[in-house]
Amino acid sequence: MKSELQLQLAVAVLAVATSMFTGYAVSQTVPQSLASPENFASIADTEARSAAMFTELGKVLTHPRCMNCHPAGDRPRQGDESRLHQPPVMRGADGHGLPAMRCSICHKHANFEPGRMPGHPEWHLAPREMAWEGKTVAEICAQLKDPARNGGRKVEELIHHIGEDTLVGWGWAPGAGRSPAPGTQKQAGALVEAWVKTGAACPAQ
Amino acid sequence: MTKVNLTINGRTYGPLEVRDELSMNDFLREYLGMTGTKFSCGAAQCLSCAVIVDEPDGTSYTSPTCVTSAVSFDGKTIRTVEGLARDGELSALQKAFIRHFAFQCGYCTPGFLNEGQVLLERLAKAPVKRADLENTIAEALDGHLCRCTGYIKYHEAVRDVILADSRRYLVANQ
Repeated sequence: MKSELQLQLAVAVLAVATSMFTGYAVSQTVPQSLASPENFASIADTEARSAAMFTELGKVLTHPRCMNCHPAGDRPRQGDESRLHQPPVMRGADGHGLPAMRCSICHKHANFEPGRMPGHPEWHLAPREMAWEGKTVAEICAQLKDPARNGGRKVEELIHHIGEDTLVGWGWAPGAGRSPAPGTQKQAGALVEAWVKTGAACPAQ
Repeated sequence: MTKVNLTINGRTYGPLEVRDELSMNDFLREYLGMTGTKFSCGAAQCLSCAVIVDEPDGTSYTSPTCVTSAVSFDGKTIRTVEGLARDGELSALQKAFIRHFAFQCGYCTPGFLNEGQVLLERLAKAPVKRADLENTIAEALDGHLCRCTGYIKYHEAVRDVILADSRRYLVANQ
């Protein structure tokens, strides 16, 4: 009798523990993967291959970690659901916030997990002309190639910006409760480089 | 663990060794026992936790402490609500808050006091026109949430202080 009760107790504990671990696993965001340039080798046409690689890169560019700070308006968005930033902060003249509410007042040099506060030494919005919100991948592609709307960069410079810039890199280490951008920054950089080397073609849509 | 040094209400603290994950709010309240600064929403939304940060260039701003680490305040000069009174005498703003009975439970009051103080100091350097005063006060206090009062008496108290010393805070003859 005693051993039967002990067995029932052990089974119950095991069942609870299993369900807890399962729930934990499910609750964790499964990171999206990013294809490598080699995955597109089967596309014979160079322009088509280039455009396909940009479409893959679009998974990064349209991810909330990137899109939230490339808004169409003057308010950043936040969260995986890209809700309007609360508190209601504004872009300000330089993209670093209003004079009495600079981004850096709350967003310090690194993520602060006890406050669930993301951080980077240069936390700010992308300029208005670099707004991606509401645009298709094709439109973003055209915008990235336009020096008037990409900070005066040549497409080659995008390799460093996307592949090595540390604020961009935050997108892959955003802290708890936020899903990281697909793949890794290195993989994204490789895609950009391959895209540039194949002529930086834009997808049709 | 990181060593921090900072100045609070004119007094230097440090070097003090603190955990990297210690919030500034906990540092003030739990570590230093300065409970004037409150913890409310924990998300930098209500600004009950706001303290004044004094920059070397003479400007000041309010900063939440609930979502910021103590370490991030290393080297900073700050003022909390405990530092507003001087030699036992309440500040003009504190007296106005009492005179107008601007607060009820008092939980948001330190944040409002700090914000109001920053506004007064800003206006003393850059006065505004009387016609712009209401919007100026409203914009300055915007973001501070109060569940009790409806905000009106906070606004009136701040306005009262400014109008009582209009030569300092307002553009002359406007």
